[in-house]
Amino acid sequence: MTNLHGKKGFFARLRRPSAKYSVATLLLVGVVLGVLFWGGFNTALEATNTEAFCISCHEMRDNVYPEYKETIHYSNRTGVRATCPDCHVPKNWTYKMIRKVQASKELWGKLVGTIDTREKFEAKRLELARHEWQRMKASDSRECRNCHSLASMNSDAQKQRARKQHATALEDSMTCIDCHKGIAHHKPQGMTDEDEE
Amino acid sequence: MKKTLLSGAVGAALVLMTSLAQGAAPADWNSVQATEITLFYPGTSAVEWITKGTEHGGARALKKGETCMDCHSEEVANMGQLIASGKKLEPSPIAGKAPSIKVKVQAAHDDEALYLRFSWTQPPASGGAKMDADNPVKIAYMLEAGGKVELAEPGGCWGACHGDARTMPGAADGKTKYVKGGSLADGVFYDLNQWRSGENKAYDGHIATERVMQGGQALVSAQGKLDGDTWTVEFTRKLAGGTGDVLLEPGKVYNFGVAIHDDNSAGRYHHVSLGYHLGIDAAPDITAARQ
Repeated sequence: MTNLHGKKGFFARLRRPSAKYSVATLLLVGVVLGVLFWGGFNTALEATNTEAFCISCHEMRDNVYPEYKETIHYSNRTGVRATCPDCHVPKNWTYKMIRKVQASKELWGKLVGTIDTREKFEAKRLELARHEWQRMKASDSRECRNCHSLASMNSDAQKQRARKQHATALEDSMTCIDCHKGIAHHKPQGMTDEDEE
Repeated sequence: MKKTLLSGAVGAALVLMTSLAQGAAPADWNSVQATEITLFYPGTSAVEWITKGTEHGGARALKKGETCMDCHSEEVANMGQLIASGKKLEPSPIAGKAPSIKVKVQAAHDDEALYLRFSWTQPPASGGAKMDADNPVKIAYMLEAGGKVELAEPGGCWGACHGDARTMPGAADGKTKYVKGGSLADGVFYDLNQWRSGENKAYDGHIATERVMQGGQALVSAQGKLDGDTWTVEFTRKLAGGTGDVLLEPGKVYNFGVAIHDDNSAGRYHHVSLGYHLGIDAAPDITAARQ
């Protein structure tokens, strides 16, 4: 087909004004396609943002997931549960997308089997944990603070030790992850004093 | 006759002077204020563990100057339960080991001596092996002056408790408690007094570069008895002694810790207090008031 300017091809067709469809039809089709695309993208994205997706890989299911099941974030008297993405994926869209792009590296790890045995996982656990601690530290433990905050804690209901430590944390502008490493998974072997700074 | 009377009077005066010089324990201990402290089973929680942030969440608080009591005073018995049961810090738990012991501490002093009285209910025997067959019970207290021993101020006896001391996992049998930078000359030591029930004997020693169970000159006597299921042990200790003895002065406060070896135990298998502070006419945790 030859266009008005005598040029051919797919892109030329896209650039050519429609002589057949009304602007309203084109807009409607555009909106519908946009909604379908956006909805599909978000649905796919959210499908990766579930505990079921996380533990569909044996690396997570066999290593960190059983440890998390022993903790208060999995089982508690009030029935509130924080699942994998609640702690490990930001809620804010921009930060979530950045995290998802970073996480695409994990696909490569999956393909080449970086942590596909217990031994390999344990050998890499400290490095992986440090990455996550650094991410949480940099965001002032943003994902913890989706549910918790020092300001809203009732210190009278806390044990003496927690009361004291939280008062210190407030004084020193500390963040949750400074003290709460290992709150949902076992602490790695080989941690150094720098890991507790 | 005159001579007999005279010698009798001189003798009586001498006895009176001696007893005055040595002082005397309170005639009625019931009138002396009692402080109840809880001793707990500490397992392998040596100073190296206490100060390691990756193991002990309170290491950071300790560095900031908080004391063990600041965070743990309300949960001492629970800590003993966790450790004695082997859930934490005890690789070889002893079945039936008492998790904690509540001890009533009373203190008084006069111009010459400090009087300390400890009483507690004997916990049930574990039925385990007798580590010290001669002594069903031993009780000791340690005093430290001026906070020269690292951790003595916030942590009582923990400044002397190390992971490489005997009965700790993998430690040599000959290695005793010791203090970092221990020096009698520089005052970097704990003064240690102990009473052993089987031997019925008092020991006056110290801990500097190693634990020494003799050589002190302050301890006058220690007597203990088991009445029913209640132990009562009284120490009389001169305010001033010699090398390896902490000099006690009115108005001053001393770092103070108590340990009981119950159930024929030895080494680390004891019950210990967190770090307390004993004041001579001063009122920190435990006060020895002038009588």
